[in-house]
Amino acid sequence: MFDLERDIGSWCDHLRLSGKLDEVDVIELENHLREQIDELIENGLSEDEAFLISVKRLGNVNMISEEYSKVNTNALWKQLLVDPVVTGAKKQNRRDIFLVVLFSMVAGTVAKIPTLFGIEMGSYVYFKNISFYILPLIALFFVIRHDLNKKLIWYVTGFFVLTGVIINLYPSYSPNHTEILTAIHLPMMLWLVTGVAYLGDKWRNNKGRMNFIRFTGESVIYGSLIMLGLIVLMMFIMMIFESISIDVESFVENYFFIYGGCAAAMITVYLVETKKSVVENFAPVLAKIFSPLFLITMVIFLMVIVITGNSPFVERNFLIGFDLMLVLVLGMVLYTISARNMYDKINIFDYLNAALIFIAIIVDSVALSAILFRLSEYGISPNKLAALGENILLLVNLAALLWLYVRYFMSKIEFEKIEVWQTHYLTVYAAWMAIVVFVFPIIFRFN
Amino acid sequence: MDISKDLIAASATPLILAILKKQDSYGYDIIKKIKKASNNEIIWTEGMLYPVLHRLEKNDFIESYWEKSEAGRRRKYYSLKERGLLELEKHIKQWEIVYSTLSAEIYNNDEKRGEYNV
Repeated sequence: MFDLERDIGSWCDHLRLSGKLDEVDVIELENHLREQIDELIENGLSEDEAFLISVKRLGNVNMISEEYSKVNTNALWKQLLVDPVVTGAKKQNRRDIFLVVLFSMVAGTVAKIPTLFGIEMGSYVYFKNISFYILPLIALFFVIRHDLNKKLIWYVTGFFVLTGVIINLYPSYSPNHTEILTAIHLPMMLWLVTGVAYLGDKWRNNKGRMNFIRFTGESVIYGSLIMLGLIVLMMFIMMIFESISIDVESFVENYFFIYGGCAAAMITVYLVETKKSVVENFAPVLAKIFSPLFLITMVIFLMVIVITGNSPFVERNFLIGFDLMLVLVLGMVLYTISARNMYDKINIFDYLNAALIFIAIIVDSVALSAILFRLSEYGISPNKLAALGENILLLVNLAALLWLYVRYFMSKIEFEKIEVWQTHYLTVYAAWMAIVVFVFPIIFRFN
Repeated sequence: MDISKDLIAASATPLILAILKKQDSYGYDIIKKIKKASNNEIIWTEGMLYPVLHRLEKNDFIESYWEKSEAGRRRKYYSLKERGLLELEKHIKQWEIVYSTLSAEIYNNDEKRGEYNV
């Protein structure tokens, strides 16, 4: 029995298999095929005849994709990797690997410099500056790879330098709360600045920003894996040298960990950036495995709270832990959105994502009420104010996402609207983090 | 009469730009319009059209947007941009030069030898 839909579907799969067409291209060609088929059917042909003739007219799949690959530079690198004879790609790859090695060494060395001036590695000052050891080099790596325009290079460099100067000119008095807040917020803010270096001129464009969210998510996943490997290696080194009674602890702590950490970061960035196809196949799967698990964990947790009546927010540290979890959940939601194909139909993972957002909203509201309670009970402190701001930002973000999701489920809006909204909202985060980093210390007199 | 591949390729850009100047359009429609306007002489293949469209879009001559068709499908429409209009004018000038050179040659030869009947 001839099934038109099935055959059109498998024709599209053939196009996809060639690997040279974007999903959008496939949809465009599929639509073309359908128009052709409709017209032939209108002229009195049967479905299967119309299908065969249309497919023949559209031409050999290989030929189409050959033609496409000439324009589609996104797909071009796939060819280059398959065919290493192409010297350009090989050369570039060698250069990239050289850069990764060089930058890892430089970053590690830069991270050692403060210790020369008697700044302890565990100290607040060292901690505060942690983003300056590696992020500028990652940004530089992107600048070299993406041929950024001059103006943007100056902006990014200027921002790094200016931030570095301001942050280190700020004094810090005990109990150093604003300094710690700065140390926590600065890396995130500068990561967004690094994102500008990653995206170049496209940094304003929502597709570009979505791509950076995807990049961030994948970096987190691969970075964790590489770090895990590094820790295993470290423990192994400690163990084998201990067995021959040589103490390597200070070497491991002072050199191996620092250089290794920097190298792990550079390698992660390089891998996610250049080996897209490997990463693309794996990371979304991880996201799909973990988002239901997070959902179940949070639902059970909320249920236990309701049943036992125990509040998790008596202790201040837990509040921070909860915020971290919310950030993680939001990150996962965003990653799932960014890894999603814009033209996919609504599927189970969209509902899962929406459910995750819903639960996160409840957790966030509970956390928010706890913060408000603490604010009214114990007065204003930089920590509480920062937590309050962040929870409100998160709540707005989550609520808007849920609202947009619901409208999307009702087919009121295209999925793209969700992306557009989210990518615009990133600016709000950047602004808030800048406030915490630059303004908070002044308001609270560097305490 | 078959038009040579080279000529088809060379004329694709101005023809597409000219069609889009009149009205936004999508791939299937463009092929039909070209076929009609040329009295079935110029028949483009999809494998040729879409890459050209995408290249033009990349060069910022045209832009695309998605719209639902009557049948409820997503159609990718293309529309001409300011830069594309300039490009089209450049192409038209070039074609006019080629055309006038060609006709001048034919005309001159006509005078001299009287071999052609134009």
